Amino acid sequence: MASKKAAQKSLSLAPVLDLNEATALRDKLMALKGSDLAIDASAVERVGALCAQVLMAAAKTWEADKRSYTFAKASEPFLKTMQLIGVNIEHLLAKEIQR
Amino acid sequence: MDMNEIKEIFFQECEEQLAELESGLLKLNDGDRDPETVNAVFRAVHSIKGGAGAFGLDDLVSFAHVFETTLDCVRSNKLDPNQDVLKVMLKSADVLADLTNAARDGGGVDEARSKQLIRELEALANGEMPAASEAPAAKPAPALVATPVADDEGFQPIPFSFDDFGGEEKPVEPFAPTCEILFHPKRELYAKGNEATLLLRDLSRIGEMSIRCDMDSLPPLEDMNPEEAYFSWKISIATEKGEDGVRTVFEFAEWDCDLEVRTVEEDHEAEAGKDELPMQPVPFDLSILDDGDDDATGEADEPAAPLSSANTAAESNVVPIAAASRAEPSRSEARAAPAVQQAAAAANPAASAASAAAAAPTIRVDLDRVDRLINLVGELVINQAMLSQSVIENDNTGVSSINMGLEELQQLTREIQDSVMAIRAQPVKPVFQRMSRIVREIADVTGKSVRLITEGENTEVDKTVIDKLAEPLTHMIRNAVDHGLEAPEKREALGKNPEGTVRLTAKHRSGRIVIELADDGGGINREKVRQKAIDNDLIAADANLSDEEIDNLIFHAGFSTADKISDISGRGVGMDVVKRSIQALGGRITISSKPGQGSVFTMSLPLTLAVLDGMVVTVAGQTLVVPLTAIVETLQPEASAIHSFGASQRLISIRNSFCPLVDVGRILNFRSTQADPVDGVALLVESEGGGQRALMVDAIQGQRQVVIKSLEANYTHVPGIAAATILGDGRVALILDVDAVVAASRGQSLKQEISLAATG
Repeated sequence: MASKKAAQKSLSLAPVLDLNEATALRDKLMALKGSDLAIDASAVERVGALCAQVLMAAAKTWEADKRSYTFAKASEPFLKTMQLIGVNIEHLLAKEIQR
Repeated sequence: MDMNEIKEIFFQECEEQLAELESGLLKLNDGDRDPETVNAVFRAVHSIKGGAGAFGLDDLVSFAHVFETTLDCVRSNKLDPNQDVLKVMLKSADVLADLTNAARDGGGVDEARSKQLIRELEALANGEMPAASEAPAAKPAPALVATPVADDEGFQPIPFSFDDFGGEEKPVEPFAPTCEILFHPKRELYAKGNEATLLLRDLSRIGEMSIRCDMDSLPPLEDMNPEEAYFSWKISIATEKGEDGVRTVFEFAEWDCDLEVRTVEEDHEAEAGKDELPMQPVPFDLSILDDGDDDATGEADEPAAPLSSANTAAESNVVPIAAASRAEPSRSEARAAPAVQQAAAAANPAASAASAAAAAPTIRVDLDRVDRLINLVGELVINQAMLSQSVIENDNTGVSSINMGLEELQQLTREIQDSVMAIRAQPVKPVFQRMSRIVREIADVTGKSVRLITEGENTEVDKTVIDKLAEPLTHMIRNAVDHGLEAPEKREALGKNPEGTVRLTAKHRSGRIVIELADDGGGINREKVRQKAIDNDLIAADANLSDEEIDNLIFHAGFSTADKISDISGRGVGMDVVKRSIQALGGRITISSKPGQGSVFTMSLPLTLAVLDGMVVTVAGQTLVVPLTAIVETLQPEASAIHSFGASQRLISIRNSFCPLVDVGRILNFRSTQADPVDGVALLVESEGGGQRALMVDAIQGQRQVVIKSLEANYTHVPGIAAATILGDGRVALILDVDAVVAASRGQSLKQEISLAATG
């Protein structure tokens, strides 16, 4: 899924981020660890809490690594679900917009 | 309530959902782009899938799942619901109906067809997605610009504009108590296929909620177990449903999570304000997330034996019926009720307050009970008539208070009767909807493009009539498409819209329901019909027939104009069967056809089969009832107006035209010699095909409403007699089958079959 761009890597999220996807998502993110990451969540239709956990854990990890971790694109369901479960990703989005 | 009963309710609801689905799709087909319509369609499929999952109806679930996925693309504007897409969807709705029926009644479905449709649906869902993926991503951008940059820890109060969500109403719940909830899912909750996001979504539906997600326990990515539960939530919700309502949401997950619910006195915003970490308000409209609900649940469930799911907590929130059933044994009644409500709310996710208010409360009643009631009211009417008659007979003092009381009683009984009849009255909508499927299928087979327009779907008529209407209507629709409409190329050559139109309308006309089926095809090819009739020895080669008479030939048994016999129509059992069914319902059917412009079939049916307005007459000492709808006028024949014709035929001259005089007593073998018309009364009746006949009876007793008692059910079919009734004096009176009598007067004898269907 990951395709190389000049400075930062990107990851397109699968449409369905459910229980089955959580492990796969973690593995994908682990593979990208250490580089700046732009996540494309525009195709996401459903997000489960498990995948949200993985995404947020990655955000923490990236932060600790002083790497940028942003959501370059996000679908409406993705944003709304995040909002619903009280997971604030606005700052991750906002930086992208500012850039 | 045992499982079978629950299942039965599920199927009943399926029927409603399927109807909803179809009408929604048809609306979309007509260019309706209201998101609520799309949501309604989605909900319908969603509910069916949810229920089917609980009963382990795997075929149904898997098909509904694919269907739903595609519908979701429409809902999220990734897929434009154009005609081609809707064609597939309508077919899918048909297959879904088939699958539902198969699940209920056993039997198989056309697997090849459903597999093909699954492929088509999947293609639609996949094919359009990449192209449209930019669109949703662009949307949130403007909102983000205004968002202040939060520090990396998050948990900032977010200025949240509801405008972004497209004008949803925020329900005002001023006195709703506020609950504070601590929700900490365990690993098991996710492992069982439940989903915290869904629980939270359901929770957000019952009130205004603010939420804070506690992520402190979240380890770094490399140390985390992706299937462990780290998040926990603190929620503050203002809901009318209170603590119980909140617990209901978590009812089937509470063993798999730590849950604390308590009601707080203060306003929830004050409560939130006290919190060191402010909560995030939750957008009220979460309909966009609905897909997440069942898909996530459904998929998670599939590996984990859906059959057993009735006993697990896993998907309770998407299965209203099952939820209700499981709630009952374990909870008190009071708890069960909100459970049902909540489950229903979950099943109809996007149902706004408005749509909930629009639906009037209804109950389901066994038809038998209604019929028993109707029967009893019928007896009451008869009894009341008998009572008043005997009072009149024994009343020598003239006006008495008893008479006044009786009159009131009569009015009351009449009113009760009307109300009871109204219970049985149903809109013709379900039948009409079935027709749209027929049209689609026939159009497909014949390669014609047809548009079915229905009007007056809410016209109400007795349930029996509705049930019996489906078959003749199906025949007629098939005929209209197969024979009536021309092939698209031909239509184009004629300068018509290549898409043919079939219009089905229902309306009330003077106490009857009139159903019209009009096509804009070529009309009846009279030359062909005539030739065919001659070939089939139905008419003499030199017979001189009016256009109307030729048109009516198609109602003749064994008549079909199709050149080749297709499996759609053309077996020669079409229109005569139609006519018979309509007549058996006490109705009439007429055609009017214009060459090149199409044909109109008009059916006029009684609103109810239980009562009848009739004229009570005497014939040879017998009391008969003639349906009032058949009678045009009554007259006292004068000797000068009677003309003999042939050996025994007589005509009566009415306003310068001759009308055959039919002696009812002779036809029914009440007497062997003809009565003198001058001594009797002539009832001018409209017979099938438009001709008029004068029925001769001895005297008219009066006009009244009679309760129909089936002769077939209680005795046996009597030719020339439609049914029986009990009169006020307790005597049985026969109800005349006017058409049969008229037909018999044409020289055909009364036969046991109802094949007396006249040919005009």
